[in-house]
Amino acid sequence: MSEQPLWSLPIERMAPEIQSSRLSPVEIIDSLLERIDKYDGEIKSFVCLAPNARAQAEAAAAEIAAGNYKGPLHGIPIAVKDNYFTADMPTRAGTQAAVEYPKTDSTCVAKLREAGAIILGKTNMHEFAWGNETPPTRNPWDTERVPGGSSGGSGAAIAAGFVPAALGSDTGGSIRIPASLCGTVGMKPTYGLVGRSGIVPHSWSLDHAGPLAATVADAAFITEALVGHDANDPGSVDRGKPDFASVLGASVEGMRIGICRNHFFDALATDVGEKVEKAISQLSKLGGKVVEFEIPNLKYGLAAIYAIELASSTAWHDPSLAAGMTADYQSDVRTLVEIGRFVTAPDYLKAEQLRRVLMEDFARAFSDIDVVVGPTLPLTAWRIGERSVRIGDADESVLAASWRLTYPWNLIGVPALSIPCGIDSRGLPIGLQFAAPPFKEVDLFRLAYAYEATQDWKGVRAPFKV
Amino acid sequence: MKNPDLVRDVLGISLEPERVEENLAAYADILQEIAKLRTLDLSDVNPAVTFSPIVAAKGTVNE
Repeated sequence: MSEQPLWSLPIERMAPEIQSSRLSPVEIIDSLLERIDKYDGEIKSFVCLAPNARAQAEAAAAEIAAGNYKGPLHGIPIAVKDNYFTADMPTRAGTQAAVEYPKTDSTCVAKLREAGAIILGKTNMHEFAWGNETPPTRNPWDTERVPGGSSGGSGAAIAAGFVPAALGSDTGGSIRIPASLCGTVGMKPTYGLVGRSGIVPHSWSLDHAGPLAATVADAAFITEALVGHDANDPGSVDRGKPDFASVLGASVEGMRIGICRNHFFDALATDVGEKVEKAISQLSKLGGKVVEFEIPNLKYGLAAIYAIELASSTAWHDPSLAAGMTADYQSDVRTLVEIGRFVTAPDYLKAEQLRRVLMEDFARAFSDIDVVVGPTLPLTAWRIGERSVRIGDADESVLAASWRLTYPWNLIGVPALSIPCGIDSRGLPIGLQFAAPPFKEVDLFRLAYAYEATQDWKGVRAPFKV
Repeated sequence: MKNPDLVRDVLGISLEPERVEENLAAYADILQEIAKLRTLDLSDVNPAVTFSPIVAAKGTVNE
């Protein structure tokens, strides 16, 4: 193995070493815990570390030594967002309010444990997954800037080299936004493919579970482990066991690359626009056939996601609202939870009708396209406390800008993946977003892996100094 | 219920009037987007979330 530090290795590099017993899960966990101890006081990505992390690593090492190797996640430390229930750690969903959640493993955490992963700890999140900044977590690429959210702790922990991968959840972009701002891969699978029981709900028909990881292959390994029917999730579907790993390295010659020129390319920061166009050219050089199209109805999408997300979130928080507990929420989240009461039932249903229209629009587009490609965000990480940003000639609120390009894929429930595609003039990562028809995760992994292989930043972590 | 109050009874909001005003101000930009949605005639479109009479009991697979 190279002299590369253990904390910087992606799963795809660690796994063969662990399988062959050249590397012990105990060495890895010790390396990560030392790094977390040294630097997470500044980054603030973890809210809790598993008290038994080293014991989990020792158990994994013993299993592997006994010839019971389970696969690429065996002995690999993975962190989970603080809205996933865990049997050995408390769940707070990012809040300081007096809430209590069961100490039992969520379906996803149970699946990771079955695959042999070590659950290293819980990562910070924007309170109740209702925001894109994740205070007080800092972005390791520039600690004066936000890591994004709501899975910001997961993105920051990977970027800082504290863990090779982490789970996030995504209602309007909450996996892909921190992935883009922290320079990691982030994967939101098709709605229903990954079971959500044991995750604190935010908006039932928009919530998705999935991983953030250092590389595309790592994200594929974890997604593969998470897929499966969840009897306690009414949105869950049974699609059988996938094989994402087998498409990694497959040719992308002839793949049809869709570029939706309206909405996804409106008002982009200059560096973002340039890097994304360069990435599209690269995909073309790899054999992709570029097809441009437009979806005019996207101009109504913001109204639809707001109506659905606000109404759903408020319905879920209703007992807390009735009990006056929302006064203990952070002010931004309290406001969002309270204003959900203003969404009328006809507005909500019209949003669900618009959603159907968009699903049909994209279904038509996908008859000529395999993967839609565009930016994940129109900007890179903004400064902590900054409320609006200037993009091109206009000011835009950071909340509006941050999810403008991600929420369409939550509205229609298709798989979407964010992958780094370069660095801006301030040294901050830029995200490229891929989306595919429902249950076509294989095409996302295939194309993203091929693109990643052409870039010299694969698996890179933030060059942060404390 | 006689003469229900719009905010308290119809919308189910039991907040101080000042807080309701703050929330309405925060909702203004969102309402502007929703106003666009209201202009659409979608009467022939079924909502994406539709009712199904089939439900799985907890712990079983929905057939």
